[in-house]
Amino acid sequence: MREPNAIDFWRGFALITIFINHIPGNTFERYTFSQYGISDAAELFVFLAGWSIGIATRQRDGTPEPRWRSVVRMLARTVEVYRAQISVMLLALAIIAGAALILDNPLILEWHNAGNFFADPIQSVCGMALLTYQLGYFNILPLYVVLIGIAPVIVLIGRTSRLAALALSVGLYLASLVEEWNLPSWPGEGTWFFDPFCWQLLLTLGFVTQDWSRTSPAFRLWTRRLVPLGLVIVLVGITLSVLEIRPDPLMVPEPRLLFTLEKTFLTPGRLLHFLGVLLAFAPVYALIAPRIGMIVGFLSSLGRNSLAVFSMGSLLSLIGQLVRFQTGGGALIDMAVAGSGLVALGITAWFVEWRSRKTPRPRA
Amino acid sequence: MVRRMAVPQNPAPARLMPGLRRAGAGALLLLLAGSPAGAQDAVGPSLECRVPGSQLYTVATLPASKVALTEKHALRILAVGGSAAPGASASYPVRLESALEHALPQVDVVMEHRGLPGEIASGAAERLRTLVAEADPDLVVWQVGTHDAIARVDPGAFKDALDDAVAWLKSHGIDVVLVDPLYTASVAGDADYNRIVDSVKEVAAKQGIPLVRRFEALRYLASRNEKGESHILGRQFRLNDLGLRCMAEHVALTVAASIGQTPPPAPKATPTAKPAPSDSPG
Repeated sequence: MREPNAIDFWRGFALITIFINHIPGNTFERYTFSQYGISDAAELFVFLAGWSIGIATRQRDGTPEPRWRSVVRMLARTVEVYRAQISVMLLALAIIAGAALILDNPLILEWHNAGNFFADPIQSVCGMALLTYQLGYFNILPLYVVLIGIAPVIVLIGRTSRLAALALSVGLYLASLVEEWNLPSWPGEGTWFFDPFCWQLLLTLGFVTQDWSRTSPAFRLWTRRLVPLGLVIVLVGITLSVLEIRPDPLMVPEPRLLFTLEKTFLTPGRLLHFLGVLLAFAPVYALIAPRIGMIVGFLSSLGRNSLAVFSMGSLLSLIGQLVRFQTGGGALIDMAVAGSGLVALGITAWFVEWRSRKTPRPRA
Repeated sequence: MVRRMAVPQNPAPARLMPGLRRAGAGALLLLLAGSPAGAQDAVGPSLECRVPGSQLYTVATLPASKVALTEKHALRILAVGGSAAPGASASYPVRLESALEHALPQVDVVMEHRGLPGEIASGAAERLRTLVAEADPDLVVWQVGTHDAIARVDPGAFKDALDDAVAWLKSHGIDVVLVDPLYTASVAGDADYNRIVDSVKEVAAKQGIPLVRRFEALRYLASRNEKGESHILGRQFRLNDLGLRCMAEHVALTVAASIGQTPPPAPKATPTAKPAPSDSPG
């Protein structure tokens, strides 16, 4: 078990933000940072995934591990995330169907695009296995599967040249924005909520900046010098989101996606805002960590076990929504839902670490 | 937004207006009378879906769709929300497309459907703007409110967000038809749920757009004597299936009746421009 650190802390922070934001309409939603900026916790989560890949594919002294080991490591992780998505989707559908049956309320079946599944299970179950059928709010893990699946390419190119990896990634990103490339949804029409061709750039940025921050004093110096710029961007983001000012996608020039703020495509405006947030908040951990030891410990424990905590969080937020629906919501219910959710996430993280300590190593 | 070129898909342009009148009037007559007579020649709903017009819809003008009909180019429709496939063989978008092509035989309907998971009051309205920018439709048929009602978002916030989104669509000369949430027995007396349904109605009235009153229609169907096959999961599930099955017909009726009421567009001085929503008859 690693000691608490900034990466796990922020990842835990992103996990809690996603958990709260996935119970729409709840009292605490308006206190999450997503309401006060252009980008949100999803960007943070994917960026940190790239950063973690940088850490995971090197020894402690910074020497890269053998290539084949990195590739196998990432493929294993891809399988793990895929498995998590399939389990979580199945359980989510069961929760939705179960609630509809118990409450004798078929409207619940229509929720989060689940109606497609119940109306057309033959195609939908194939789509579920192919990751092209995604429930609303259950669309980050499919992105993750694709991103970690292609991460070996980024890592191997990045070992030869970080700039080459970045150039390739930016190229794919810009081409996807201009051509509006995205993976299809099926069954049903449309495309993925998170466009992997665009979002891969954040993973690459995380990977490359982790390497730079490790090796380049100039990079570290500039990230400190640019903190004021980051603060300005954060303030602009707060102003724009509070005043609800955003470009009209039917009024901007072509190619449209270079100018709008659409989450699906991680458009440049969102990316710029996220980089500003990163600059402004990167130094914060060192300042607050000594003062809020308990919270740092808790968030880091969530961040260390992000896949399990995220999966459990998705299901808990779905259950939380059902509780709010059936009880009618209100501040007290919201407090109970959010509070018990946080406790359950903490227990999840504890359980995963307890199990990995207890499980005997498989005999070779 | 640039209009697409007209597509010469209409084999019999001379029948346009009489056909339309017949379709609209037949549908209205059938609905109001609630009688099976004339079911063969009118574009009425099938027997199981029949609801009095007063409980099914409010009509309003659809200028952009009327232009599509008058200029005989394809009517591009973006159907938003709800599941695509009640029954894999004939999904809602497919049914709606064929129901509309039946009701408006002189126009080629090009249908796109997109699910819109999430709440209008928190984020889904933004997603709608993306979908509209991608699809470039003449008409948006929007099933709205069920998610927000189930998520218990504040009805006031929902109404404001919906009003903004509809105003935005209209400001770009895009027609909108709203479809309010589904009905089931357990929400009949639910005050918040009813406030969401009312909010949809109020926004439609304020913005002067057609509304498919699915909640009322299903309540009406629920009160009728059940003679059809039963559902293994009980009455509410049967009603829900019926509601999903009938929706395409109900939407098609509302659209046809609304287009029938829309005055023809002014003689075109600038054929590439979209007409303003308040276009007067000319």
